[in-house]
Amino acid sequence: MNLPKIALDWLDSRLGVKELIHQNMGGYLLPRNVNLWYTMGAVLMALFGLQFLTGILLLVYYVPDTEKAFASVTAIMNEVPFGWLFRYLHVVGSNVIMIVLLLHMLSVLYMGSYKRPRELTWVSGFTLLNLGLVFCLTGYLLPWSQLSFWATTVATDAAGAIPLVGESLVAFLRGGPSVGAATLGRFFALHVMVLPLGLMGLVGFHLFCVRRAGISQPPFGKDYQPRTFGAGFEHEHHPHGVPFHPNYTIKDLGMIFFVLAFLVAITFYAPWLFIPADALEPADPFVTPEHIKPEWYFLWAYQTLKIFPSKLLGLAAQAAAMTFLALLPFIDYGPERRPAKRPLFVTCYLLGILLVVGLSVWGHYS
Amino acid sequence: MMRKFLFCGLLLLVFTLPALAEDTVCLQCHGGQEGRLGAPVGQWQTSIHAQNGISCHDCHGGDPSDFAMAMDPSRGFIGVPAYTEVPAFCARCHLGVAEDYAASAHGQALERGGPQCVVCHGNHAVVKASIALINEQSCSRCHSYERAAQVKQTISETEATLTQLDTKIVGLHRLGIDTQKIKGELFAGRNDFRRLFHTVNLEKMRAQTDEFGQRLGKVQAQVDSIESTLSQRKMLGGLVVLLLLVAGGVAMLIRKSYHDEE
Repeated sequence: MNLPKIALDWLDSRLGVKELIHQNMGGYLLPRNVNLWYTMGAVLMALFGLQFLTGILLLVYYVPDTEKAFASVTAIMNEVPFGWLFRYLHVVGSNVIMIVLLLHMLSVLYMGSYKRPRELTWVSGFTLLNLGLVFCLTGYLLPWSQLSFWATTVATDAAGAIPLVGESLVAFLRGGPSVGAATLGRFFALHVMVLPLGLMGLVGFHLFCVRRAGISQPPFGKDYQPRTFGAGFEHEHHPHGVPFHPNYTIKDLGMIFFVLAFLVAITFYAPWLFIPADALEPADPFVTPEHIKPEWYFLWAYQTLKIFPSKLLGLAAQAAAMTFLALLPFIDYGPERRPAKRPLFVTCYLLGILLVVGLSVWGHYS
Repeated sequence: MMRKFLFCGLLLLVFTLPALAEDTVCLQCHGGQEGRLGAPVGQWQTSIHAQNGISCHDCHGGDPSDFAMAMDPSRGFIGVPAYTEVPAFCARCHLGVAEDYAASAHGQALERGGPQCVVCHGNHAVVKASIALINEQSCSRCHSYERAAQVKQTISETEATLTQLDTKIVGLHRLGIDTQKIKGELFAGRNDFRRLFHTVNLEKMRAQTDEFGQRLGKVQAQVDSIESTLSQRKMLGGLVVLLLLVAGGVAMLIRKSYHDEE
């Protein structure tokens, strides 16, 4: 008796799942020349899955109370069986997610895959990147360490530079005039409930957009020609392509294994790369650490705030850059996607990367 | 009982308040002065006291929040102690070593111009005590170095173990290990050992060095146990990384076989 087959037949007779699976797996054809950069989405799905799993395990022992949070994290690291592993996987995992999110975004930018008809895919993806940053910011506070306390104080303080609503916004973010129990409560609720729900919804929408519009043809090779799309909806088919499953899923799986190997290597051999010394001391509102710095993915923003004569100008510059990126498909809307035919874009792309890396290095050493 | 209580208090102070001292009125006023009135501020900033948040008023008394009354005796201002008052001045915190010092040949000679705390340790620029304080240049100011050299030789092995354990515990803390308990044990051991050599009694030091060796051996065993666990974790991690790399490689080979068919 083959139970899985019986179950599948039962479901198929009611929901037609076999046809659904065929349409989205073996019968779903991808361009023949899809490269490794196309696996970033699957890698991110796997990493987010790991964050959910390790996050739930941490949630069992973590106490969201300013008097107990640091002690509970210390207990997770030292007393709970394999607690250190869950915590390190969660911390290192969040950093690896940011790396992969950035690589995913940069590859999509380089290949011009954000262009019509994929504007919504881009906007939802860019929103997911920002959601990832908010995830990191809110998670940062939870251990209630010196780093948590002061990094959150600095980050929330920046909002005060916004005219008219600044002070109210800071008070709203903190739940009071300074970072305290109310802030921890807010950030905890955001981190474990609001943001995960938002992330799931947004990932669902992003995948829906990817599937409905179809996978974009990589803009490389002699046969590639830019496509123009009509006014109506049009799914990009690849009739001579390769099946998504198993031809492409195995490549996804391979990349997931490689990225997990990187994550596990950092977790076991160099977790301190992502855990500064101030993260190991309990929060003390009366003692300001000498050199408090944000995490590497916020360094560019930190340095931007420092180089402008006022915080407001710094925030405005950041907001302008982020808005420009979010709306890029509506600004750069020509059909050409081949990098070799887009010298202005590629120059801006490289200069943009250099600028962000330069600001981050400057921020690190300043 | 009182001594235990004070010792625990001192432990708590050292482990829970390693704070940078706040910018008190003492620092604000003296920091802007020149000569002997301003010099202590710069010296103090390099000291172990500054690192542990021990500021001017903690030793000299007074009110660090009130410019006008900062140096008023009614606010507990003591000022600069006389030469022979220095041991009692420091003993308000360093009570253990002060007791052994008082009973030692150094302490007994105090009234006759014998050495007190700052003669060896310095005052405002006081640094973390180490065996380097016992040296020919320093000791020869008062007597021949011969006996001091024997003291140094006797305590050097234990002192080296203390330093090595301290470094290892700091390293373990950096890896997220809860070192509070072993740090406390090491602190207590070091404190008692410092007390011992403040007696400057060579025979007593020789007799008790083995005892300290055993005591530190227990701390060493705990550190070794943690390090062994960390090594095992690394072995496990290496195995997992290897398996993941192999799995990734196999997946890519399968993909290549599909590619050949395509």
